[in-house]
Amino acid sequence: MKRIAIALLFVAATASAAVNRTIATANAASCDIGTYAAATLLLPYFEVEYDQPQSEALNTVFTVINTSNAPQIVRVTIWTDWGFPADYFSMYLTGYDAHTVSMYDILARMNFPATSSAMQVGSSSQSSNRNFYEEASNWCLHAGGPLTPERARRLQQMLTTGQRGDAGCRVGGTHAHAVGYVTIDVVNSCSGDSALSDEYWKEVILYDNVLTGDYERINPKATSGNYAGGNPLVHIRAVPEGGAAGTSVASLLPYTFYDRYTPRDARHLDRRQPLPAVFAARYINGGRDSFQTNFVVWREGVVDRETSECDYAKNAALALFTPMVVRFDEHENAVATTGCDENGCSYPVTGATSLISAASPLFPPATSGDVAGWIWMNLDNGAGTGKAGSPYSSRRPSQNWVIVQMYAEGRYAVDFDATSIANGCTAAPPTEP
Amino acid sequence: MKAVPWLFAFMATTAALAGTTRAVRPGVLIPPSAVDNNSSCDIGTYPAATLLLPYFEVETRKHVNDAGNTIFSVVNTSRQPQIARVTIWTDYGYPALWFNVFLTGYDVASLSLYDVIVNGVLPQTSSSAQAGARSRPNDANPNIVSVDECKSLGGPLPQTTIDSVVALLTAGTAEGECHYGGNHPMAVGYVTVDVVNSCSKASPLDPDYYAKTLLFDNVLSGDYERVMPDKAVGNYAGGNPFVHIRAIPEGGPAGSVSSGLPYTFYDRLTPKAARRIDRRQPLPSTFAARFIEGGTAAFHTEYTMWREAATSAAAGCGVAANANVPYASIVRFDEYENPTVGAGNRAFPVAASAATTSSAFPPRVGASVSGWMFLELDNRAGVSAASPYSVARPSQNWIVIKMQAEGRYGVEYDATAIGNGCTNPIPNGGAYK
Repeated sequence: MKRIAIALLFVAATASAAVNRTIATANAASCDIGTYAAATLLLPYFEVEYDQPQSEALNTVFTVINTSNAPQIVRVTIWTDWGFPADYFSMYLTGYDAHTVSMYDILARMNFPATSSAMQVGSSSQSSNRNFYEEASNWCLHAGGPLTPERARRLQQMLTTGQRGDAGCRVGGTHAHAVGYVTIDVVNSCSGDSALSDEYWKEVILYDNVLTGDYERINPKATSGNYAGGNPLVHIRAVPEGGAAGTSVASLLPYTFYDRYTPRDARHLDRRQPLPAVFAARYINGGRDSFQTNFVVWREGVVDRETSECDYAKNAALALFTPMVVRFDEHENAVATTGCDENGCSYPVTGATSLISAASPLFPPATSGDVAGWIWMNLDNGAGTGKAGSPYSSRRPSQNWVIVQMYAEGRYAVDFDATSIANGCTAAPPTEP
Repeated sequence: MKAVPWLFAFMATTAALAGTTRAVRPGVLIPPSAVDNNSSCDIGTYPAATLLLPYFEVETRKHVNDAGNTIFSVVNTSRQPQIARVTIWTDYGYPALWFNVFLTGYDVASLSLYDVIVNGVLPQTSSSAQAGARSRPNDANPNIVSVDECKSLGGPLPQTTIDSVVALLTAGTAEGECHYGGNHPMAVGYVTVDVVNSCSKASPLDPDYYAKTLLFDNVLSGDYERVMPDKAVGNYAGGNPFVHIRAIPEGGPAGSVSSGLPYTFYDRLTPKAARRIDRRQPLPSTFAARFIEGGTAAFHTEYTMWREAATSAAAGCGVAANANVPYASIVRFDEYENPTVGAGNRAFPVAASAATTSSAFPPRVGASVSGWMFLELDNRAGVSAASPYSVARPSQNWIVIKMQAEGRYGVEYDATAIGNGCTNPIPNGGAYK
């Protein structure tokens, strides 16, 4: 979609300490992540108790809105917490359509959302999209719908035990609930091509910044939950936007969100903004209202698409940080963890997505009586060495996202994004505060 | 759907400015881009020079244990000390109270608006406070011109001041007959937090505040939590990051460098001879916001809105005009993309909260209980003869979505901006096409 192209380029005048750099005022022309209509949406973490009755089950629901008047097709991919694409489906969105997806419906009721290119379009909506593949309407006549029991069981298994095929290899962690993350891409057809194939990037994925969405995390248990949290999905724009699938254009992005999945001869082909590595995240643990803080931490994996299933275990052992993490309490007492001593460096590890308590020993301890403060975290996993064998296309920090979840009094919960200290195009973000 | 003037303006603008973009592939627009930090007009959760809490409510007549309240935190993400100017504005955009908070390097300050407004207790900070081990000394910020008035900040307010603030925020009244805010049972308004160079007491209506006091360091981060503890009417909380508004470019002493931005957040308040001297990113005018009304979980959705006032700093009693800041158009789409437009009151105050079921919004037709709205909130003051703005442009706005369900769930998150704040569909001369 050709969105606003009021593209005026300014070069700021210089003065003493002000930084002189090019300023982009156009839309979809920067590396900054914000809640703007996007080409990919990321739900960084979900949890589902699919074996509980719905009235008691922990669940995550999300909504996808097509903000354009043209129809759009989205590819929803469900990834394990080790970054393996466990399953995927397409949704056909008519112009201005909104569709809500319950992960419980998928995993417990075994239904992907059913949509169709034959649906009646709204009176303000167009019936066609010039970037669609010519067979898109036929392929999307019956998008989604019921899963076979075997497919549903395999999906449940991958998201709870990590077991897929080979009993000796796992593609996800073991946990009581189904855990993982979700990506939603704008695409040109209800193609069956996997995100692990060249075809997906060269012939299927599109670049129209037209999607928006949000998620709600619901814990209905009156005794241990009784709260909900919600937040926008991470809105990842295509820069620049527009054009047919496989259109290769010069982009200022030094690397992209899907870097390690893109074809080896076209590493920027997805054009998606990369995510940052360094964050500031607030916490409150304890106090009169029994506050508790968790961090949702999404991490870029280190195995590329050509890796064997058995190698996904490497994504279970992503160094949580390579330089350091620092906890500041309310009196600016700083406690740093570097993972290094006279014997060398050894870092704690996580999977590709996880929920970590702010009180976890993975983070530096709080040493004063303060119950609150913030944590500075550089989450670079250290894999972007730029050397042969690196899963990434260039020397760079790995991508990450952090959401702060706070709870209090057994009845309050809030979710909000942590603050990114620098954007994802920052090749050398600060290594310490 | 009723024709949306913005769309026509956008199309005309795109055509008019076609020369400023490059179309190197069919359908791909390549606007000038910038991947540096602090170099775009996009709002994201990055450290900023101004934080905006778009809307707050405090139940001043209830005991603190039952009172609806808004609390927030401000984090100094830099090692340098910083001074933050907190201004509490009425819902008509009039400053009811302002005070300074001294933040040592890496400091975090938490504020309860109930404490400030009802108890009259300001957060106590001091430039004599001991800085943390990783923090620079309290006199080490070269852009701070004086800490002389920062040695003993905050503490209790005189009762006359408390009474005056409560009167302004609940009834809009002060001495005389003027109305500076609306009349409502709760204290209502919005809050800005600026990085400044001294503990000056200059009013935010004084142009000198922007020319001599305001700084440009993108170092502040913050979040807010809105708590409704009364089990009879609430029992939930919502939280969100502040709107993080960066200085572009950043850095330098007060009064230095005009911005490369076409207009700025504080536009209507800045000195006539230096309208962009605040360098703050402007906010957008057009949004997509989701709603759910009813259903089995008794969903309820409200939009809290910040609207740019339509009056200048010198308006005096004329600020009452901000009780009804008009908007351009709102279109409601249900889940079947049925569009409706409203015929009700097309205006809100500067800071407002409205249920999506209210007559202010287009009616819902059909059985669908959810969908989304396209809100074009430009107040049109930018093209009026008495425009308080520096250029012909759309007014600035922000929307936060509040959803509640079952009397126990509450979530809060930003609506999606359809274009950034530099998106100006009013080319050359101030008339919408």
